[in-house]
Amino acid sequence: MVSTMMENPRTAWSRDVDLLRCNDATEILIMKVGDVMVRNLARGAHKEANKHLAQWTVLGNPKMIKAYVWLQTSDGSIQQVEQEIAMFCPLICHEIIQKGMGSSKNYAICLPQRVSPAMLSLILDYCRFHQVPGRSNKERKSFDEKFIRMDTKRLCELTSAADSLQLKPLVDLTSRALARIIEGKTPEEIREIFHLPDDLTEEEKLEPLKNTTDDPRIRLLNRLYAKKRKELKERERLKNVEVEEEHVDERSVDDLLSFINGNDRDPKEIKTSKNRKKNRRKKDQQKNSFLKEASELDKETNGHNIRCQSAEADTIGETSNIRHTEDDTFSHKETNGHNIRCQSADADTIGETSNIRYTEDDTFAHKVEFDDGDMDDEIDPALQEKIDREVADFARRLNSDWPMRMKEFLSSSGQERTSMHFPTNGNSFLRRHDYPFLLSRFLSSGVDDISSCCAGTGLRMEMTPYKPIQMT
Amino acid sequence: MGDFGGPDLISDLPLSIVESILIQLPIRDAVRTSILSSKWRYKWNSITRLVIDEKCVPSCNDRTVVEKSLVKFINQLLFLHQGPIHKFQITNSYLQSCPEIDQWVLFLSRNDIKELVLELGEGEWFRIPSCLFNCKKLTRLELFRCELDPPLTFKGFMCLKSLILHQVLISPDAIESLISCCPLLESLSLSYFDSLALTIRAPNLRYLYLEGEFRDLCLEDTPLLVDISVAMYMTDDIAEHFEQSSNCNFFKFLGGVPNLERLVGHIYFTKYLSIGNDPGQLPLTYSNLETIELYQVSFEDMKEILVVLRLITSSPNLKELQISQGSSNIPTATDAPDLDFWRKECPSDCTLKKLKLVKLTDMCGVPHEMEFIKYLLGSSPVLETMSIMPCMYVMESQLKMLIELVKFRRASAQAEIIFVRD
Repeated sequence: MVSTMMENPRTAWSRDVDLLRCNDATEILIMKVGDVMVRNLARGAHKEANKHLAQWTVLGNPKMIKAYVWLQTSDGSIQQVEQEIAMFCPLICHEIIQKGMGSSKNYAICLPQRVSPAMLSLILDYCRFHQVPGRSNKERKSFDEKFIRMDTKRLCELTSAADSLQLKPLVDLTSRALARIIEGKTPEEIREIFHLPDDLTEEEKLEPLKNTTDDPRIRLLNRLYAKKRKELKERERLKNVEVEEEHVDERSVDDLLSFINGNDRDPKEIKTSKNRKKNRRKKDQQKNSFLKEASELDKETNGHNIRCQSAEADTIGETSNIRHTEDDTFSHKETNGHNIRCQSADADTIGETSNIRYTEDDTFAHKVEFDDGDMDDEIDPALQEKIDREVADFARRLNSDWPMRMKEFLSSSGQERTSMHFPTNGNSFLRRHDYPFLLSRFLSSGVDDISSCCAGTGLRMEMTPYKPIQMT
Repeated sequence: MGDFGGPDLISDLPLSIVESILIQLPIRDAVRTSILSSKWRYKWNSITRLVIDEKCVPSCNDRTVVEKSLVKFINQLLFLHQGPIHKFQITNSYLQSCPEIDQWVLFLSRNDIKELVLELGEGEWFRIPSCLFNCKKLTRLELFRCELDPPLTFKGFMCLKSLILHQVLISPDAIESLISCCPLLESLSLSYFDSLALTIRAPNLRYLYLEGEFRDLCLEDTPLLVDISVAMYMTDDIAEHFEQSSNCNFFKFLGGVPNLERLVGHIYFTKYLSIGNDPGQLPLTYSNLETIELYQVSFEDMKEILVVLRLITSSPNLKELQISQGSSNIPTATDAPDLDFWRKECPSDCTLKKLKLVKLTDMCGVPHEMEFIKYLLGSSPVLETMSIMPCMYVMESQLKMLIELVKFRRASAQAEIIFVRD
């Protein structure tokens, strides 16, 4: 391999020495050689580092007495190690050269906490072998293969210890060994080997596993999960059904109409009457529709932010971040219940491909499942204000166009009115002028029960029979 | 499934180690670690190397199904990934040109991509979008079966060190300017180009690998070149062009590479070098040239033999020589061979002082071959092994070859001549 160093370090320091004209040339030389050596070790360039190690040893130790350093491990014990072997580790090298530690028992180099005596002896074995310059690549490779044959626990500890000593080649070797252990195993096997806690929640785990190897065990598991999910869904649906029967929107038609006509009646009253959880859920959905309209007008959504994910949603659903269950309820793991994000792409594509089904026949299908755990029954007052403001805003705008629109509707053909299909824009959020459609329909067709003509919109309301209203 | 006995061994290792482990796993295993435990859920998100290989998605007979699931997989991968992506490689024959690849390249260009390898399947060649040329940090680019069209305003990849183009459709001007405007380029590999006349100006270039039909090759500014490997194919019009050429190709190509360490030539390379006027005794010395491998050398063409000789005699430190004979399989004894040639061209004082290993293959036993062997044996004082593999069609002349071989003088006492028979 071609050396990637920009400048040959030998020429660099020899040039520096020429420039130095002082008595301590040797000292400075030692420092410089040592610096280069530390840098090379940190990069994993051991051949160059070894060259400098030899020079360094000669410079600092002209009599060639075998030098030892003192190292203190995590348990407090101090041991003596040959200097040239210990110097193979960049951290120790740094300590010796730049801080002058390790020369005696009192000044032993404190090794990082992750280096236990057992790990230190393993690391020193590694260094002892690789530090010898004359070995061939083949020899080094076969040593490495034998060296990493140990149980997983020791391997992890060794990786950790080598990392704390900044011994990059050993870190690479051990992490490659760990990768080989992980490769091709099922999650259960991996958890067993590494003692990983199986602490993903029930629902998180119920997402189908990616069965890329077509493992029959995983297929079976996915099928079991699917069954379990179905059961959970059933249970929830039963719960919902019970509550929905109780839920009645008791706002009268008058209220709604007057609201649209901009009466002074406080819109807040409409919202705060019921405090039941499920009730609020329904209201939230209605609020959502108002809000969506407000948002379309204001071009900003706050409070209940609902943005729908694009066509990729179903693919994303398979991944770890976002769960989607078979019934297309949808939530993001990280939500706090109020923030469900999706991007507003084409409504049509959302309608077609995403997990959120918007069909006209469904009940307001955007059944958002909030994370019930951290939600309480009281609506946050700040949030409430925001909602109220938006609703009022919406009312104002709606009101301003009302007379004109009413004229339009009333003058159009009867056929049109009766066979009105609600332009739900593919997403069944009522648009601004949809509401008048609704009203005009029951006004003109004399329907007693508004709920039947609401069926097409996906908006469920039960109202008292209508009373004629005065139109301007 | 509760807690197993023992503390968690691996989740608390530093992120750099975890990343180093995840990088060495195949991509699907790396992504699957997200369901191991809550700590592992997002560890894979920030790995900087994504390699999509043949095993990413299960394969089946229907190519479109596999392609669809592959596209879906890569989309998910990129969408969930967080942070810079330094290496992105697709090596999958099921994937062919499709519009999603454009989007991936765009995504990568915004995420500090440094190494990009696109090896798609056979089929329609993918047209590289122009956003690739905005990848400022690119150090390695490897493209297979693509169409490359650099925009006029393209100033070059300032950090590019390695460029590999294999079956890439690119205009000759564009390729030359691409090479010359990447100042740090060290390694260049071009394969399967048609009728290209190429002039290479790359001051930092070290490794050169060329394969294809080249009309003309010129190394104009490549002083640091260390390793050259060229395989030149021939078509009729290129052959015609060769006849008319009068430049000395040898000089044009090997005139400016004093640091050359290894030279490998396949097919018509030696023929190409032989065209043009004879350079005479070369002023050049390749003092670092240690390995020469020339295949398909025709020992009936005096000019080609001359090329080989010139190379050998200009390389005082040559250690390894491999020559493979490659003219017609059946030697035709037309003219009487000019054996004087050898006496003239081989100075008797020229010894190959470092030559240790010689390997000759496809030898037919024609007179010039024997003279060449004689010359080598007589001028290599430290020769250790000479292995000769005769051409398999000429059974009868093998015995003749052996008889002659035995007669030759050997300058090296340790020389072993190994005659390899099938």
